[in-house]
Amino acid sequence: MLQAHGIAARLPGGFEGRIFRRPVLGDEVPRPVAHFATFALPADVGDFGGGAVTLMGPDDIFAVLFEYGPESVGTALFARQGMPRRLGPDDFRPAVLRRGLGAQSGTQWFFVEQGRPFTLYAVLGHHGRRFASVPRLNALLGHIVVDPADTAAVQATGLAP
Amino acid sequence: MLALVVVLLCCVVLLAVLVAGLLRSHADILRALHDLGVGVGDPRAAPAGPSTTSGTTPVPVTMGPPLTMGPPLAGERHSSEVYDVAGVTPTGDAVSVSMRNRGGITLLAFLSSGCATCAGIWAALADPAAAGLPAGVRVVAVTKGPQFEISADVRAKAPDGVLVVMSNQAWSDYEVPASPFFALVDGAQGRRVGEGVAPSLERVADLVRRSTADAGAAGERTRQAGPSGAAGGSVRLDGPGREADNDRMLRRAGVHPGDASLYPRRLGDVFAGAATPADRR
Repeated sequence: MLQAHGIAARLPGGFEGRIFRRPVLGDEVPRPVAHFATFALPADVGDFGGGAVTLMGPDDIFAVLFEYGPESVGTALFARQGMPRRLGPDDFRPAVLRRGLGAQSGTQWFFVEQGRPFTLYAVLGHHGRRFASVPRLNALLGHIVVDPADTAAVQATGLAP
Repeated sequence: MLALVVVLLCCVVLLAVLVAGLLRSHADILRALHDLGVGVGDPRAAPAGPSTTSGTTPVPVTMGPPLTMGPPLAGERHSSEVYDVAGVTPTGDAVSVSMRNRGGITLLAFLSSGCATCAGIWAALADPAAAGLPAGVRVVAVTKGPQFEISADVRAKAPDGVLVVMSNQAWSDYEVPASPFFALVDGAQGRRVGEGVAPSLERVADLVRRSTADAGAAGERTRQAGPSGAAGGSVRLDGPGREADNDRMLRRAGVHPGDASLYPRRLGDVFAGAATPADRR
């Protein structure tokens, strides 16, 4: 069980992950970011996969859970309540990618989970393999737990048994 | 006189109960020792139990693993097993590194912030290529957890860009006897291909180079065996991985979907120059 900053995930076989917060720079308030991948993540990966998605193979999956500030709650962009847990193959489109790479495709969702605004951004290594890859991604999404906003602020970092 | 007899009888009964209890306790101890493999006599033989025969015929029983005291012996190490490395970073974030993805070779460097030998290795991790480590080998430094290490010290030792995982479980999983200790994992095969103690990263790099060269040679041999062979140094591709490898090899050879060579009608379509009697006609 991977757990930090009020986010916990039980990783399916073959997945690795990180839940981290960037160092504070100036007045910036860094928010928790979670990266999950079926390939070896480099030490330094951009929030939305910069430096990682270029390493993906056709069967690989990369997913980001990125938290926004509480001021985003209630805005139109974050109208959806609850994280999507079961995505479909049709939810993925090559045009959704932040950087169009080869045959990759992606999906992005903005939502509020437990009072905390997030975006979920997921990339598949090959759009043609989405019918095999999406169930593996759903296995991950089904085991991500987000703590409520009030408790996440004081939650200690650590690993649950 | 009657009273004396009654008292003696009570004493006999009491002593009989005590003797029976002692015998039962002794039997329990012997049974436990046998289960641990250190019992009296032949540990492979079952303790004498209820029997309709004379009781002298040994009854085979299944024995548990022998009791091991102290550090594990070399022959008892699970030295080819791999385990994901999960823990926290020195900055308190959570991290899990998979050892069973297709990511290729990972070098796990089990280090501590206090050992003198580790100091040189920490410094060398800043530029693994300078130490001779092959490109593409992922290096993960693994220290004990925050319960046994000071996170600030680890943070000070670890160069920028080096992935550090603080995990007691990883030290236990990989049966690390002391630091510095290294384990080389082939993610494609899902097994440890090497491990041991080394005083410097340069010494490790030499072993890694040889190991990766062996893996590459194995992959090349398999590729030469035919288009259904594995790629990337792995000899265990199966299912979708094998299919993807087949597709890649065919595309590389200029054979695309719909190519006529995929639908041979005659032997000559497959083997240039070959001709069947029907062809000759």
